Amino acid sequence: MSGHQNGRQSVRQNGAVQAAPDRWKPHGALAMRRRFMDRLATGLSLTATCVALLALCSILLTLLVRGVAGLSLVTFIHSTASPGMNGGLANAIVGSLIQTAVAILIGAPLGMMCGIYLSDYGRGWMASTTRFVSDMLLSAPSILIGLFIYQLIVVPTGHFSGFAGSVALAILALPIVVRTTEDMLGLVPVALREAGIGLGASKWRVIVFICLRAARTGVMTGILLAVARVAGETAPLLFTSLGNMDWSVSLAQPMASLPVTIYQYAGSAYDDWVQLAWTGALLVTLGVLAINILVRVGFGRKGA
Amino acid sequence: MSGTVVTERAVSGNGVAGNGASGNGVAEKPAISVRNLDFFYGDHKALRGISMEFSTRKVTGMIGPSGCGKSTLLRVLNRMYDLYPGQRATGEVIFDGRNIIAPGMDVNRLRARVGMVFQKPTPFPMSIYDNIAFGVKLHETPSRSEMDGRVEDVLRRVALWGEVKDRLKASATALSGGQQQRLCIARTIATRPEVVLLDEPTSALDPVSTARIEELLDELKKEFTIAIVTHNMQQAARCADQVAFFYLGELVEMDSTDRIFTAPRETRTQDYITGRFG
Repeated sequence: MSGHQNGRQSVRQNGAVQAAPDRWKPHGALAMRRRFMDRLATGLSLTATCVALLALCSILLTLLVRGVAGLSLVTFIHSTASPGMNGGLANAIVGSLIQTAVAILIGAPLGMMCGIYLSDYGRGWMASTTRFVSDMLLSAPSILIGLFIYQLIVVPTGHFSGFAGSVALAILALPIVVRTTEDMLGLVPVALREAGIGLGASKWRVIVFICLRAARTGVMTGILLAVARVAGETAPLLFTSLGNMDWSVSLAQPMASLPVTIYQYAGSAYDDWVQLAWTGALLVTLGVLAINILVRVGFGRKGA
Repeated sequence: MSGTVVTERAVSGNGVAGNGASGNGVAEKPAISVRNLDFFYGDHKALRGISMEFSTRKVTGMIGPSGCGKSTLLRVLNRMYDLYPGQRATGEVIFDGRNIIAPGMDVNRLRARVGMVFQKPTPFPMSIYDNIAFGVKLHETPSRSEMDGRVEDVLRRVALWGEVKDRLKASATALSGGQQQRLCIARTIATRPEVVLLDEPTSALDPVSTARIEELLDELKKEFTIAIVTHNMQQAARCADQVAFFYLGELVEMDSTDRIFTAPRETRTQDYITGRFG
């Protein structure tokens, strides 16, 4: 490759009659242009990175400063209350935890089974349709999913409920788990499957005890990313779990959650509610950040 | 004894009468008889009219250039091709009185009786102990102590016990390549098969590990019928009792190892083993 390049340069230089060129250093207009383009491209991408990082840091810093200001023990032990009543976020925090957990309990097993189907059993139109729908779901506006569950669960049961919110979040988590499970199972070497089959194991045994084990870090990563995704969702909860001013851990009742509380309080006229919104936003962000770090530190090393 | 002609020859046994599990009679019948086997990858015919026998408790070496069908034949013997739609075999492969490529065969049971070791070591992502227990548990329900005994026994037989006895609970993927391959052999024989198929088992290993596996084959053939595919002519000469030479999907010649390497009948065999092609 370099020989070719040198050849071209010596041709150019022969016309200009120069001293013997140093063949380690590229010369000529072509080399100059390449060097210029290289610096330009590097400069542009550095600038773009800085702009993005600046925006991100600005958001995080503002959130940190304004959120920490309202952080106290009261935030964690008091439920939301009327303005001036020294309310906290306990109901919203617990509501978010419950709804996210139930959503993952529903969405992760379904998603894993679907991913297994797509990776190992699905053939023909059925599989390609499933894959297509799942990918569409991945980018579907989350408010539509909220409306869907409103029609499916809230209207027939006659009231908003934490369960409806959980199902809406489960639908959001589903395609993420489907995609990562299928991809991770696809990375399991054929030789490993054949080795299992070669011992006389049935297909499902090979998938469950060998392939899923081999792909477990990747699948776990997908599930945690799904947790991070749904924990911060507001729109699907507006029409489903609605929110709740009081302490409630019943899935059959309307349930508070951090994102919905932020949505309701951030635009209110009361200073202490606005402060709670900031604090809630900080808590959600820290939670999602913690999960992402866990994914990177815990599973990233093994090259998942 | 040309492999292209089916002969019901009784292979002179090595003195050990019937190995219990195989249910063979007094005379040593071949462990597996292949008759007029054709194999297709979709429309492509990869094996043409193969007829040959795998003698009981002997090592049968299968040699030939890449793509000649030797690995394909091996994958017929435990129905591994079943995994892939579009692959099919016609003809007869008789093992323990039944045509194993006929429909209705219990392939999982078959694979327990005809085990396979692959080119690349394929330890399962679990502990050394569980790698062996996995296969055993598929077909039997031994007690804890029986399983412990079985694990120790097979690890001793593949000469791995001394190296791993203190870390049976450690991950099998942390072993070296040669150790992993010996573990895979241990795992295969732990299900107590009658036939062990080896598909280029040493091509991913260093010479020292290769030598250990070859020594192991000498031990194993006292108990198992072994079919080994190899690209290494010296390996075939060292390990095999009989050698089959394949070319372009056909069995060109099959004979005792001595005859194949000193006085082959076919010029194609001669050309291949002397390195003139392939």
